[in-house]
Amino acid sequence: MNEKIKRLDKIFHPKNVAIVGATKKANKIGNVLMKNFSEGKYRGGIFPVNPKYTQVMGLKCYSSVLEVEKKIDCVIIATPAATVPAIVEQCGKAKAGGVVVLSGGFEEVGQDELAKKILASSDKYNMPIIGPNCLGVFNPYARVDSIFLPTYKLERPKPGGIAFITQSGAVGSTVLDLSAFYGLGVSKFISYGNGTVLCENDFLEYLMYDKETEVIILYLEGAKDGRKLLEWMKRVNAKKPIIALKAGKHATGQAAAMTHTGNIAGSYLAYKSAFRQADVTEAHSLDELFDFVRIFNQPHPKGKRVGIITNGGGMGILTTDAVEDEDLEMAKFSKDTKKKLRKILPPYGTVANPLDLVADAGVDAYEAAIETYMKDPNIDALAIVILFQTPPIDERILHILTKASDDRRKPMVTISVGGEYTEKYRKILEGKGVPSYQSPASAIKALKRFVRYAQRNKK
Amino acid sequence: MIDDFAMLEKYGFKLIPYSLAKSEKEALSMAKKIGYPVAMKVVSPQIEHKTDFGGVKTDIKNPEVLKHAYRDIMQGAKRKKVDGILVQKMARKGVELIIGGRKDPQFGHMVVLGLGGIYVEIFRDISARICPVNEDDVEEMIGELKSHPLLEGARGKKPINRAMLKKLVVRVCRFMAKENIKEMDLNPIICDSKGCDLVDVRFRR
Repeated sequence: MNEKIKRLDKIFHPKNVAIVGATKKANKIGNVLMKNFSEGKYRGGIFPVNPKYTQVMGLKCYSSVLEVEKKIDCVIIATPAATVPAIVEQCGKAKAGGVVVLSGGFEEVGQDELAKKILASSDKYNMPIIGPNCLGVFNPYARVDSIFLPTYKLERPKPGGIAFITQSGAVGSTVLDLSAFYGLGVSKFISYGNGTVLCENDFLEYLMYDKETEVIILYLEGAKDGRKLLEWMKRVNAKKPIIALKAGKHATGQAAAMTHTGNIAGSYLAYKSAFRQADVTEAHSLDELFDFVRIFNQPHPKGKRVGIITNGGGMGILTTDAVEDEDLEMAKFSKDTKKKLRKILPPYGTVANPLDLVADAGVDAYEAAIETYMKDPNIDALAIVILFQTPPIDERILHILTKASDDRRKPMVTISVGGEYTEKYRKILEGKGVPSYQSPASAIKALKRFVRYAQRNKK
Repeated sequence: MIDDFAMLEKYGFKLIPYSLAKSEKEALSMAKKIGYPVAMKVVSPQIEHKTDFGGVKTDIKNPEVLKHAYRDIMQGAKRKKVDGILVQKMARKGVELIIGGRKDPQFGHMVVLGLGGIYVEIFRDISARICPVNEDDVEEMIGELKSHPLLEGARGKKPINRAMLKKLVVRVCRFMAKENIKEMDLNPIICDSKGCDLVDVRFRR
């Protein structure tokens, strides 16, 4: 790992932070940042920097990073682009650990010279820089938060295992907001904007070694270096699953082609091929991204045989259809399982996969059926349909599903289709780390991606 | 066109036997040498799609038919500059495939395998990889084609010569890298259980 990537740790786990452009003025970026750190329970030292003030929000304000008495691990810059190169150079002189430049106004508006200057300072001091033109970083473990969207408008997710690497701040922030909404836990959020100094492959490398990260979401508009990206996707994905979403699939601008290949093999096909070659899971929409990421921190399935449990016959059939559509297999029960299930079912019930516990099935029937499925060596993954609308299903089901998921014996997806009442329970399940889906198709599609990942990355 | 053929041959691609005839007499003697049946195609820098001007005649079985075909082609192209008539051995009957390549600004050379012929851009049944690739990669590419059952011998036919197809795909990556190709087509490549006939090529540096 090169020095700059190693030093990203300083940005994500800083003992102290300097905020350049700190201000008292409400709704200014420098103000939101101050609030993020002072109200967000960040435990390290906060050093506002702004030559206009001597004090910001009760803290001593410095006119330059060079004046701060302590060595700063992480400097966050939110000042006009023209001022940034000089500030970055000062950060280098002050031996700052790393810098996050939120300000826009660089390559994206043709100001390449400004970008070159900050790259030069970064090289001179071996100092990592994230940005410019980005939302920066979020690490709920260390309460580091450079996202300049107020917390009352954009909820922050709890600590967890999902890391986000995103070029776009807008997409990144909405993904964060939704993660918080669904109760998904996040390890690191990196919005890197122009990627002037460090870009997607560098962050992949960093996250490969990051202890808090289990799954990586990669949102790309365009790679800086495709070959490097391919190489790092291969290396990282073998250790931690990457789920990639490529935007701009239909981008034009390719020179007129004289061959069929030139006409049909556009730039997106190159990305698609690279994802395929690295065995990276590709999502085709934000919906799929969320569907997929929820399942990937579960125990790896040993094969593709799915056991279905339901309390509604039709939903069992729809789920079976989805299993066939996705080229997974319906599990065949062992003798032992058949015997046990016979006892669970009412006399008129049928021992078959999908297992229909019927609408008057209570929570205990679910518990016994799940336990039986977990023990059957012929079942690799569980798809559990729970229709919360049926009278005997009560809150105890949440505990049973959570326990089954926490035991980490086999991967499982749950499917609950319904309105407000059902959605409430789905959200609780998600919050407890049980993947819950609104439709059989989306659940099984996600399961298929996970099965494929497990098959290709057998440990 | 003939130069392109020669360049590919330097890299070990074996094109279906061909010759460029400048006259009817030449065409007759070439066809005799190559062996009937043959195909004839107009070669003109002004004609992009040869079929559009009646510029392609296939399955020519004897000298009589050849003479007629030659005159028809020349008639169709009479307002164009004609470099000659390409006389080619008639390709085997089999599955029509395309192997192509392109240099992507981000990822560099990539190779494409797909169902070939004149409907390439309609069906778009293709699989692609970033170069270089090995034969295992190509095996996966074949599996990703919707039409892969055709290659495995659908409807009582024998499976195509996969080994030869795989070598061709691997070689395309090598060729593109060495010659710094911007885009290329080997189309069509006609494969049966015995082998593959490489009928036409097009590339740009």
